Amino acid sequence: MAEDLVLDTAIRDWVLIPLSVVMVLIGILRYFVSKLMRSFQVPDPKIVKEGQVIVRARNLRGAANFIPPKSFRSRRVYFSNEENGLLFVPKGQAQNAQAQMFSDPNMAMDMMKKNLSMIIPQTLTFAWVNFFFSGFVAAKIPFPLTQRFRSMLQNGIDLSTVDVSYVSSRSWYFLNLFGLRGLFSLILGEENAMDDTQQMMQMGGFGFDPSKSLTAEKDGLDIVQHEWALPKFEHRAEAVLKKLVS
Amino acid sequence: MAGHSDSSSSEKKSSEAMNDVPTFSTENMQNNMKVIYYSRTFMSIIGGVIAGILGFTGFMGFIFYFLVMAITSIGLIAKAKFSVHLYFDSWNRIILDGFMGGLMSFVLFWTFAYDIVHIF
Repeated sequence: MAEDLVLDTAIRDWVLIPLSVVMVLIGILRYFVSKLMRSFQVPDPKIVKEGQVIVRARNLRGAANFIPPKSFRSRRVYFSNEENGLLFVPKGQAQNAQAQMFSDPNMAMDMMKKNLSMIIPQTLTFAWVNFFFSGFVAAKIPFPLTQRFRSMLQNGIDLSTVDVSYVSSRSWYFLNLFGLRGLFSLILGEENAMDDTQQMMQMGGFGFDPSKSLTAEKDGLDIVQHEWALPKFEHRAEAVLKKLVS
Repeated sequence: MAGHSDSSSSEKKSSEAMNDVPTFSTENMQNNMKVIYYSRTFMSIIGGVIAGILGFTGFMGFIFYFLVMAITSIGLIAKAKFSVHLYFDSWNRIILDGFMGGLMSFVLFWTFAYDIVHIF
């Protein structure tokens, strides 16, 4: 029973296109607003220092094969030494950092602001869609779905014999929500559009991390097996030069 | 890498030593990944519009999506002059990366074009 319903042209003009346009515009607006609202918090020097130490340790781990074994080992001891190694955090301090993190009102406010700026436009748009565009068939999705999706997709339509492919505008909203992510990354450059909450948490939780990531880095550094690559490079240079000369 | 001169290629050489210790320049790798992602997104949007206009429904549409993705992969491989290991660290990256992300955009534009052309 796949008879083709003929839908009013007015639906196309006044529902599909405006909804998509509104979502694109809201996305662009959100991008610019988040750029403006990026409040410049004065970074805590201790946290910055620890962050830099982590970066150094990571570089050491990555480029370990380019330095002679002895210097690598001396650097590693400098980092993970028990008494005054930079990466070694005694258990007492570890708890402290987290407590300080939570009680710092500034950080909490920032995280809340970022989360909210993500959630509010979505909620508002969803409410707007529900209020104005409910109770009729909005679009037909070109592929068949099972009956179980009916309640999810055909929200305002109370006929149970209509094909599941005919969906309400709420599902058009969701389709737009997911599909426009790719479009945003093209227009706005560098995946800026649909920053998931994970990324927000990561940026906000920079103070959380020190104790855990320090120990993680230390473990990673301890694991590294050093294999000096430079002797082979001499051979390679020789081969390349030979090719050039001949 | 003496002897090679890439004038204006959008993919940069990311692996230097072809010996036992392969080294990768992360910045170039990331740039290459971005190039793949953009290409796939763009192609999936265009592919969605084409599928909608041509009136593909159901299974045919998804097959068309795979076709478009395969064409994109082949195009990327050709651009990398068939020596994938110089630019990426594994085959899977250039073939499979960005598959799912493109799917949603494809479905959106497919539905859009299909509705505008055929139903209304």
